[in-house]
Amino acid sequence: MDFAWLLQSLLNGLSIGSVYAVFALGYTLVFSILGIINFAHGAVFTLGAYLTYALAVGRFGINGLLSDLSLPLTLPFPAALLVGALLSGLAGMAVERLAFKPLRRRGADPLLALVSSLGVALIVVNLIQYLVGAEIYSFPSDIFGDLPMAVIFSVGGKPVAVRTIQIILFAASMVMLAGLGWFIGRTRGGKALRATAENADTASLLGISVNRFILGTFFISGLLGGLSGTLIGVSFGIAGPYFGVSYGLKGLAVIVLGGLGSIPGAVLGGLVIGLGEAFLPPDMSSYKEAVAFVLLFAILLVRPQGLLGGRLEQKV
Amino acid sequence: MSGFFENYGFLIVTIVQQALLGLSIYFPLMAGQLSLASIGFYSLGGYVAAIMGTHPYFAPWRAALGFFMFPLEWLFALILGVVLGIAVGYPALRLRGIYLALATIAFVQVVNVAVLNMPVAGGAVGIFGIPQAFESRLDYIWFFGPLFALAMFVVYRITAIGRGLAFFAVREDELAAGAMGVRTTANKVTAFVLGCALAAVTGAMSAPFLNTWNARQGTFDASVTCLAYVLIGGSRSLWGPLFGAALLVSLPEVLRPLKDSRMILNGVVLVAVCVYLPQGLMGGLAALRTRLAAGRGGVA
Repeated sequence: MDFAWLLQSLLNGLSIGSVYAVFALGYTLVFSILGIINFAHGAVFTLGAYLTYALAVGRFGINGLLSDLSLPLTLPFPAALLVGALLSGLAGMAVERLAFKPLRRRGADPLLALVSSLGVALIVVNLIQYLVGAEIYSFPSDIFGDLPMAVIFSVGGKPVAVRTIQIILFAASMVMLAGLGWFIGRTRGGKALRATAENADTASLLGISVNRFILGTFFISGLLGGLSGTLIGVSFGIAGPYFGVSYGLKGLAVIVLGGLGSIPGAVLGGLVIGLGEAFLPPDMSSYKEAVAFVLLFAILLVRPQGLLGGRLEQKV
Repeated sequence: MSGFFENYGFLIVTIVQQALLGLSIYFPLMAGQLSLASIGFYSLGGYVAAIMGTHPYFAPWRAALGFFMFPLEWLFALILGVVLGIAVGYPALRLRGIYLALATIAFVQVVNVAVLNMPVAGGAVGIFGIPQAFESRLDYIWFFGPLFALAMFVVYRITAIGRGLAFFAVREDELAAGAMGVRTTANKVTAFVLGCALAAVTGAMSAPFLNTWNARQGTFDASVTCLAYVLIGGSRSLWGPLFGAALLVSLPEVLRPLKDSRMILNGVVLVAVCVYLPQGLMGGLAALRTRLAAGRGGVA
């Protein structure tokens, strides 16, 4: 329990927690507009990581349909990240069209939307496996060009490492959060989005094209999902097509912890879970995957509306 | 006929076993609550049976009880299911909406991490060589069959008494039900715990059936599959879980030539049923029957 360990854990927690926050915001945006959880978000996260990998590296492993294929050109990593995220946004729109819109038009039970989005997730994940196999993909270590892998400080005689990827994780997440905050709080489009979230019927009477804004929300949500997938993939490697499932579930813990539908809540929840995982004592590290879900239970017991959620209303 | 059972017997036993898991999700759905916890309780129930069946500590018990060790395992799994079910369900079920689904997903994940870290559960390898109750795996129908009949009877009886009406009232409109004096939380917890108990006992019966037990029995994917049985079969029909399980368990056999791409098709089936048959197979059949009857009667 020395100071260097605390500092190292704080750094690790903040960088991974900020990615959790960006990822969880994708859930929050859709939830605040439709009141349902998009279970395909974890699949879009996975897709984003694979797309960026394809664009930046251009070659695949030995399994799957695309095994011998290599792309004619590859992009530098920042461009690949951006294009991968935009394509993930389009995938998010496809999820809305396939899994949510047909059900909304029929006025179906909201529980069904949950299952249909799980169905789409199943399709995406298995399609990835079919195309590129179930093997582990790691980004090459030279994707950041000449930047060093890590900078090591000495604190009280003990080393504290700041990995380059941690800085990139944190910086990219902060840029996304700031951009999103600006869009929702300061622009006309953001205002219309808030109106749609408040009451879709009234918004449509006031001339807001609700379906277009729902589609736009799914685009942003997919973009956030794909971006965070890439960041996690660069940081820890892509452990196969199912690697998004556990992050997808962790993202649910983040939004419940922060308060369902609350944007600041998702950010706070992400950081709390990231820090909670990082500050787990080393001898309990095998329980790391349970931290998020234990926190979820704890919050349901003591403050079910989440850290920043409003009072749970009882609508008739 | 005997040839038929030799070829398809295992498939039929598996269908009944999976239909039991579907039914365990059907119970909370009767009160309008979506729970994905079943697979966690199934996993825990299986570990109870696996540990009691193989651990040296229980060797004297096994020697003394013989075949009756199996019912004792079911009893222990049942008690565990009820106690844990109340502990998990109560905090989540005070709330309305999606909270139970989220809490139960968390429960499944925590169970998974916990069993991987328990030496007695054999870590990632799991537990091997669980004693068999029967010579042939087909005979396990004598475990699953009666349990299935019992569970179906409970569902059938519940719908005829006040408790079932209270479930349906909570499902249709929780606020109105509460206003009419129905104790909504108590009813939701009861429906949830019935499902947990059934899943735990099914797990305890399945450990000998499958011979080995490990953490892969309790994944998130598996819990989604169980939910799919109910929704594809029809979430408002007693027979829905059986029909859904029959379809989804035999689908991979039928689609075997498709190999790797058959999971993609599974997803397509899930989406298509949600969109085109929102009441599931049983609901679709009922609608068809209504239409045919209307046609015969000449009522437009």
